[in-house]
Amino acid sequence: MKKSMSSGPKLTSLKILGQAPKQWRSLEERAGSSDIETERRYEFPPDADTLDETSRRGFIHLMGASLALTGAACTRPNQKVVPYVKQPPEVTPGNALHFATAYALEGYAMGLLVDSHSGRPTKIEGNPDHPDSLGATSVYEQALPLGLYDDHRAKQLAHKGQPLAWRSFLAHIAGRGIELAKDGGAKLRFLVEPSTSPLVAELKGRVLQKFPKAKFVSFSAVASDGAAEGARLAFGKPLEARHDLTKAQVILSLDADFLTDGPEQVRLHREFSAGRTPSHDMSRLYVVEPCLTPTGTMADHRLRIRGSEVVAVAQAVLAELAKQPGLDGLSALAGLPRAQPQIRVDARWAAAAAKDLVTARGKSLVIAGRRQPAAVHALAHAMNAALGNIGTSVTFRTGVRHDALAGSEALRGLVEEIAAGGVDTLVITARNPVYGAPVDFKLDKLLSRVGETMYLALHEDETAAAVTTIVPAAHSLESWGDARGTDGTASIIQPLIAPLWSSVTEADLLAAFVGEGDRGTYQLLKTYWQRQATTQGWSTMPGFEGTWESWLSKGVIDRTAIAPETPRVDGGLTAAVGGLLSKVPAGGEIEVSFAVDHKVFDGRFANNVWLQELPHPITKITWDNAILLSRTTAKVQEIETGDIVRVEIGDRHVTGPAYIQPGHADESVTIALGYGRKGAEARGVGIGFNANLLRPSDAPWFTRGARLAKTARPRHRFGITQDHWAMEERQPAIATTLKEFESKKGEVHELIEARRRPNPVIHTPVDYSKQPYKWAMAIDLSKCSGCNACVMGCASENNTPVVGRENVRIGREMFWIRLDRYYTDKGLNDFDDDHLETITQPHMCMHCETAPCEYVCPVNATVHSDEGLNEMVYNRCIGTRYCSNNCPYKARRFNFLDYQDAISPVEKMHRNPNVTVRSRGIMEKCTYCVQRIESKRIDARVEGRAIKDGEIQTACQQVCPGGAITFGSLNDAEAKVTKLHEDERRYNLLHELNTRPRTAYLARIRNPNPELS
Amino acid sequence: MPALFRPRHNVMARLSLLVLGGGAAAGTLGVLGYQRTPMARGMQDPIEQPIQFDHRHHTRDEGIDCRFCHTTVERSPHAGLPSTQLCLNCHSQIWNQSPLLEPVRRSFIEGKPIVWQKVNDVPDFVYFNHSIHVSKGVGCVTCHGRVDQMPAVQKAHTLTMSWCLDCHKNPAPNLRPTEEVTNMEWQPEKGKEREVGEMLAEKNQVHTRTSCTTCHR
Repeated sequence: MKKSMSSGPKLTSLKILGQAPKQWRSLEERAGSSDIETERRYEFPPDADTLDETSRRGFIHLMGASLALTGAACTRPNQKVVPYVKQPPEVTPGNALHFATAYALEGYAMGLLVDSHSGRPTKIEGNPDHPDSLGATSVYEQALPLGLYDDHRAKQLAHKGQPLAWRSFLAHIAGRGIELAKDGGAKLRFLVEPSTSPLVAELKGRVLQKFPKAKFVSFSAVASDGAAEGARLAFGKPLEARHDLTKAQVILSLDADFLTDGPEQVRLHREFSAGRTPSHDMSRLYVVEPCLTPTGTMADHRLRIRGSEVVAVAQAVLAELAKQPGLDGLSALAGLPRAQPQIRVDARWAAAAAKDLVTARGKSLVIAGRRQPAAVHALAHAMNAALGNIGTSVTFRTGVRHDALAGSEALRGLVEEIAAGGVDTLVITARNPVYGAPVDFKLDKLLSRVGETMYLALHEDETAAAVTTIVPAAHSLESWGDARGTDGTASIIQPLIAPLWSSVTEADLLAAFVGEGDRGTYQLLKTYWQRQATTQGWSTMPGFEGTWESWLSKGVIDRTAIAPETPRVDGGLTAAVGGLLSKVPAGGEIEVSFAVDHKVFDGRFANNVWLQELPHPITKITWDNAILLSRTTAKVQEIETGDIVRVEIGDRHVTGPAYIQPGHADESVTIALGYGRKGAEARGVGIGFNANLLRPSDAPWFTRGARLAKTARPRHRFGITQDHWAMEERQPAIATTLKEFESKKGEVHELIEARRRPNPVIHTPVDYSKQPYKWAMAIDLSKCSGCNACVMGCASENNTPVVGRENVRIGREMFWIRLDRYYTDKGLNDFDDDHLETITQPHMCMHCETAPCEYVCPVNATVHSDEGLNEMVYNRCIGTRYCSNNCPYKARRFNFLDYQDAISPVEKMHRNPNVTVRSRGIMEKCTYCVQRIESKRIDARVEGRAIKDGEIQTACQQVCPGGAITFGSLNDAEAKVTKLHEDERRYNLLHELNTRPRTAYLARIRNPNPELS
Repeated sequence: MPALFRPRHNVMARLSLLVLGGGAAAGTLGVLGYQRTPMARGMQDPIEQPIQFDHRHHTRDEGIDCRFCHTTVERSPHAGLPSTQLCLNCHSQIWNQSPLLEPVRRSFIEGKPIVWQKVNDVPDFVYFNHSIHVSKGVGCVTCHGRVDQMPAVQKAHTLTMSWCLDCHKNPAPNLRPTEEVTNMEWQPEKGKEREVGEMLAEKNQVHTRTSCTTCHR
């Protein structure tokens, strides 16, 4: 078979079409690349069904051996049944239990409900009672089970390479403590993970009592120090902002990817999506950002600009605001000289955004991103204050996080102390600081100057290699603990399983320094909260047990939310911001911006293969990071996608593959953090390249003066899914503007109408209206940002395997949901970066009533249920793949290899026992989570009632932060899904094929400002 | 020289073709048929359990209901095997010196579960659920046979898919009042079997479910 993709796509040799396709997924597709054409000619990409590296002779050997072995395999397996010795009263074998707990990322709690099968946590859901979850989660929480059952975790406490028991280690710390206490702990330092935990705060206090001269420094490689510093400038103290999009009708995002980044992302996504139902009070989103993000794809107006120039837009909008009546308070700030006078900000854009913000005064919001410097945050706060948004769409609190600062500035002091030889004992609980710290700190070398370094490590990573003592950390799902949400609401983190390997928590390690390391976190935690409950009057001493149980079962502790403050803008703001603005870098060199990765975060999830294989929400790259750059910059630098490029800033450099990203700012490149790991975690090592090697401490997010040089190395072949499973330019994802939608005229209106009216038929379709249920789904594209949570939730629920980069390259990826991402633009031959519109479309089996896959299966392995589900019967499947061939939606996935047995027994523990594990040669696809349907059906029928609407949630629906997916029965006229199927925006995908899909889509409606059209 | 092949050779050739074809067909049918026999389904396999537990004695002599030990049968996919503690609730009082019960006592003291051999086993891709069957009036005896007459539990039915489907297509003959599910001897009134079955199907809201995903997910 022709290996058409082997040399990678060639952009230079493309034929230029007169008319660009309306929607396109990649530059190659837009330009009509012959490679794409070749790929589409086959059902599977050309390499997918070739055997890897097996000769004909080897194949016959294997066939012969397997034939011989079939004869030997004819004995009945001897199954065992093992009852409990003492059955816990709450356990019913066969039924899952659900426990409320929380997961703290960057210190902030995300409330979770975890399914536990016979003591084995398998599936994570959001806790509807938790203020930051509201029942959904982000991708990171969905992938937690795999992180728990990770065979490569740190397992053995070791001091200078010698294994040590926890008790011996405690004795060692006690001895060390006596020595350290002599000078009040002057040489004792703690480098800790940013935290909100009340228990850890108390322990830190007690450690400081015993060692008054010791110090705690918080550090995270992706900390948002600009936000804390900006609030300090604006209000005099580093308040934490919390946003409320239910009260925001006009939103201006200054490089804030608030839908898929940060501790508020899940709640903000829910609130934002709720405001996107087309109506007169639909919200409007302006986004300014350097590289396209999921939030950027939802924008009604998007400006692409280099990250360090976002401040210019902020100043331009502020200047326009100051012209409006009643906002003259801003005139002093508006009078400041422009930081980057050479930057031309689209004045019409700034004026329109400003006018909109003023019109929605009190119901608007300016939100700055984590990467932006203090000046931008301060300007945003000033604008919000002037617009009267403080107290409505943004509130401020203090005391949620222990330390306001956790970035490189916080670390600098410690680094200087170590360099000066002032640190003798360093306790590290921050996640992998050697990897994440700014490169100029040279932390790995410095650590050798410290007498003893103890590292609480989940993995034996880069930091573990540089310390004297490795203390294995317990995974969140095996630890007791507590953490606060963004409004201060505390949650108890309760373990779902005893530690798989002997490990301790951060609280245990800190308690060891006050002589309580053997008490265990549970005792410490309960004592702490008992004291809180009794002193606050929440419960009496004897009644505490009941209160504690109610906290555990609800997952949140009532009355622990911190009341918002009403800060006043500080008088010295103008002068302070003026000072900062004068230091903003100018100049036209190439800028490197660093991005928090949507998959591995700061690198802490690098060993999680689910996240590694997840296609990036925008680029659709798996198992890699890349140097993202705009097409214009690429042309200037003569770089094409896949070229190996060396990025140099001064004496620092990294080398990695380039990727041309539509909608990227010019003269700038974006690199995701978290790759190029060099620890001992096995899976994440060697994937991508380490962008931290370019990050200086004084400019952790945007740094100027880069030179790009193409190397002579052969092009990189990304494991990239964006052109896989194409539906051949049929404009599958429909988007239109509110104005056009309401006029009920025009091209898009006709398109929607054409895709919903009944098709002519020559036979009467099966009538499902007499069945008790007629399962169906509706997906609202207005609410989907492509955040990937559904993909991860589906993989976790349905035991879909991971195949690895090589297999993704040749089109063998197995995730049942794919998030198609389509671009549209107004350009002709060359695409127009400035008028790029992006839309994402979750895509899985449509459960067609007249399913094309069913007619072609020779063994009836895919058939229809009485309720119209398109069923896949694994035990009948013989792997002809005809069904996938005939599926117009390309929703079927084939097990080309035995992926499921390639993982270790510990890793297999994440599997859902209610879903069959498929082996090689089996076709599979979305089942509408039929295991959930059947389990609820049984519950309902045992109780002798019908299934209620909303009782069954598919895994993707339950986890969706935007609430874009709805599932239910069309035979229930009152069901939410029925209402959505009757919605004016509803259309069927590939309707002209008359497949009668049960999954319907609702067109995305944008709400652009008429003044900018 | 006489002909190499005589007319009788034609007959022999035809016969051998017949035997070959017939043999192949008979072989295939034989394998298929054999798979449906009690022997192939393991119904006559002697299964050695760690304890010589006698259902006859417990259910008939002592009159203990199935659900006393199989506690989760009404609310879980699994009927549930009694925990060691449940055994000892009685056997700490009676027969507490019996050498036959030594493994039970040892299990309790050592905290190690008793490992039983599974008798009625369905493949892993079959998601059988006890609670729904019991709540719709399918008796224990229907699938498990006269456990009350078994000194050691044996498989009573083939548990093949077609055996399951016989009932899933036409459940009425196998239904009984829900309060009689554990009764091993309940019989519908003679001559009125059909009416009773249909009445029970109506009363218990029994639906015939034969879609693949009913059992395979």
